[in-house]
Amino acid sequence: MGTNDRKKIRNDIILAVVLLAVAAAAMLFWHFGKVEGDFAVVLIDGVETARYALDTDTEVVIHTDNAGENTLVIAGGKAYVGAANCPDLVCAGHRAISRVGETIVCLPHKLVIKITAASDAGGVDMAA
Amino acid sequence: MMRKMRFAALLLALLLFCSMVACKKQSGKTKYSAYYFDYFDTVTTVVGYADSKDEFDRVCASITAQLEEYHRLYTIYNRYEGLNNLYTVNETEDGVHNVVQVDEKIMDLLLYAKEIYTLTGGRTNIAMGSVLSIWHEYREAGMHDPAGAELPPMDALRAAAEHTDIEQMILDTENNTVFLADPEMRLDVGAIAKGYAVEMVAQQLTADGIEGYILNVGGNVRAIGTADGDEPWSVGIENPDTEDTETPYIAYLHLSDAAVVTSGSYQRYYVVDGKNYHHIIDPETLLPGEKYLAVSVLCRDSALGDALSTALFLMDWEEGRALVEFTPNVEAMWTLPGGEQKYSSGFEAYTFAMEK
Ligand SMILES: [Zn+2]
Repeated sequence: MGTNDRKKIRNDIILAVVLLAVAAAAMLFWHFGKVEGDFAVVLIDGVETARYALDTDTEVVIHTDNAGENTLVIAGGKAYVGAANCPDLVCAGHRAISRVGETIVCLPHKLVIKITAASDAGGVDMAA
Repeated sequence: MMRKMRFAALLLALLLFCSMVACKKQSGKTKYSAYYFDYFDTVTTVVGYADSKDEFDRVCASITAQLEEYHRLYTIYNRYEGLNNLYTVNETEDGVHNVVQVDEKIMDLLLYAKEIYTLTGGRTNIAMGSVLSIWHEYREAGMHDPAGAELPPMDALRAAAEHTDIEQMILDTENNTVFLADPEMRLDVGAIAKGYAVEMVAQQLTADGIEGYILNVGGNVRAIGTADGDEPWSVGIENPDTEDTETPYIAYLHLSDAAVVTSGSYQRYYVVDGKNYHHIIDPETLLPGEKYLAVSVLCRDSALGDALSTALFLMDWEEGRALVEFTPNVEAMWTLPGGEQKYSSGFEAYTFAMEK
């Protein structure tokens, strides 16, 4: 066998390994989906009213029924409630969220902020 | 010759690639979700795979109609015209309770509550209403006026605790009536009603041939069937340490046709002098349990999961673990105040690692 053939075989092996690695990575991606989300979606009483890209820092006051106010802050790729006028303040105490399926709920204001990705699925189906 | 082999090898690699990608079974259904705020004073989440939004909405309409009915029957805070519910059972007339005719759904819950009382050695006791109503009153007041938040006086709690004997709840299954023989006694089914209602709804959906849904009513999670195709559902158990900003979940679970219920000190609480006082009250100390930050119970039946998660939250770990190992098909995870996790023998078989 000449050095040329040997080189060819080596190239083929490299090609096969690369293909398999790509396939494995693709499979993992499809299986687990994307973990870090792209948007913070705002739902008031179950209805989507707005969505904000996590890659753009912003601060917005969400108005709900009965003069409810929750300040949604997006900073450094994460979303959190910076301030709120609900009685329990559970929403304002919640850690910043950034992964698909994570939610912040303000029960008194019937408000849900949840993280989604541009592509379908990924992350957890339910946080509890 | 060489070229042919090279072509064959490439083809083989391509085939492998395709089969690996395709090995995730796809049903062609779309994933939908919905949120509701009207049941059991908590948020309800429904996630499901359906062929169309219409189909998903129809299933949600069935779920919410059922939850609405259970909520009206089991609430102790509201009366409804023409309906005998637990508010009616708790009411007194001239200082005594009435014998109240109730719906079968109430009778079944109360019978189940008696079983649970025995199983948990009295930790999960629906006859604690008189004690829990005092805590409820002080918590509500403290949440609306944080500066004036106070703890309930111990002598009031002790006096109320004299009237928590579940044997004084007289059930007549022939005539479907309930009578609280102790006039000072009140029922509070908060520790079991959500899990029980969720289980009943889930069983009804299964009977209706519906699958591919997962419900969450205030921490009572119940999966009906699998997720998309034959994939299990992925459930993240929230980190009860709300100060820890780096770790959103303490466990990732794979569930199909099963329940996971979490009782946590972070779920419903108020603050007095900088200290959190949550809603899971120990019948012995009459104070919020302090042994754990959270306890999650994984089992087939969300009613059992709900009842056990409350009981385990109030038990020493040794005793709780013994109860879990003794009860078939039940697993549990305990999170200690320092953040450390303990697991029952089979719990970790359901966990998986989430890829970053
Ligand atoms: Zn809030």
